[in-house]
Amino acid sequence: MRTIGLVFTLVLGSTLTGALSAQDVRAQLDRRVSPEVQRAVQVIAADAAAQGLPVDPLVQKAIEGAAKGVPGDRVIAAVRVLAGRLGQSMAAVREAGVAAPGGDVVEGGADALNAGLTGRQVSDLVRVSRPPHDPALTLRVAATLAALGVPSKQTLALLQGLISDGRSPSDLLGLPGQVQAGVARGATPAQAAAGLARAAGGAPPGRLPDWVPPGQRKPRNPHKP
Amino acid sequence: MTTTYHPLVKRLLDGELSLAELPPELRAEGEEALRLVAAVDRTPVTLSPALEQRVMAAVRRRAASPGNRAWRWLNTPRDVELRLRVRPWTVWAGALAAAAVLALLLGRHAPAPEPGFGTQARSAARDSVFVRFVLYAPGARRVAVAGTFNQWDRGAALLVPAGTSGVWTTTLALPVGQHQYAFVVDGARWVVDPAAPAVDDGFGRRNSVVAVTVQGAHL
Repeated sequence: MRTIGLVFTLVLGSTLTGALSAQDVRAQLDRRVSPEVQRAVQVIAADAAAQGLPVDPLVQKAIEGAAKGVPGDRVIAAVRVLAGRLGQSMAAVREAGVAAPGGDVVEGGADALNAGLTGRQVSDLVRVSRPPHDPALTLRVAATLAALGVPSKQTLALLQGLISDGRSPSDLLGLPGQVQAGVARGATPAQAAAGLARAAGGAPPGRLPDWVPPGQRKPRNPHKP
Repeated sequence: MTTTYHPLVKRLLDGELSLAELPPELRAEGEEALRLVAAVDRTPVTLSPALEQRVMAAVRRRAASPGNRAWRWLNTPRDVELRLRVRPWTVWAGALAAAAVLALLLGRHAPAPEPGFGTQARSAARDSVFVRFVLYAPGARRVAVAGTFNQWDRGAALLVPAGTSGVWTTTLALPVGQHQYAFVVDGARWVVDPAAPAVDDGFGRRNSVVAVTVQGAHL
């Protein structure tokens, strides 16, 4: 009898959680997206929640698409793709030894995957992000660097090197802007990132100080005749 | 009409000063005040026994009214002894369920704000930093900034023109972290920030990225 009571309590609690989650999604989408998108996103979000994935990024993506006037079918497709990325990200983060990752970390991993990093690279970035570094922040910076055109291997090496050198989370957050500035001065994203690695006190781990990414030409030494 | 006497005259009326102790310019006022006070009829008032009986009868009637009795019954403190007979596990299960519901209600996201109603950060608990957004948009009639920090609301954060130079600007308090955004020109045209990195938005367009740290914003 006691066991039945306990099970009943637990079932009631989980049912209540699911109901609140569905209500939450509906309330956030209400009057922001079309009824068609709302219905589809609710289904996708319910599936995601059942897998333990964060639901908020899906809702935000739907709201973003609707605000930008994107047709409903494309919004739904984008939300579905994002849900898939979140699932891949969850697997990669768990692979790094984080049993119950926070929603921010999973979302950051999905951004990184979307920008071209592999699941293994996401796992590596989570592993290297020991306090004071937040894996979510590292992954978002990696995603932005990759989206700017920095090759994913170089992105991984740059971030690993800077974290190993004891650079702060703020230093990492400034990287995309510095790469952007380098590109504005005429460098390729890879050259700009390589310049940052050199300026940070050395090449990525295992590389010589004058290392440049494959396919890139070494910068000319102005002191050399 | 109310007469306001000088404070020294009031002390005279209270018997704390004599007329001779008042300054010469206040003596006339003091004499006038004393004359008025002396003119007051100080004969003791005697109430008739009939009046007292009428007043007491009214008080008893009021005390005996059902409304007053009910109010006194409700308002009088009483000792209440409550005895419950429960199994300990039911108490713990109930407490855990109540705590879970409370945590869900408090910890989950607040209900979505009305469209067009203010700027809402996705995580208000974190520190916020003021970030200035600037766009050169000559000829624009209205410029806003929408992003992950305000649920992509095109009307939540309007930029104001800086004179007639075509430069539009606004300053927002953003939570620490990385945010995606875009400018909305004339309510319809989405424009990336030319001064910030941009990433694919999943819809075939680009979003600008701003990284906010406690030291400031990085574009």
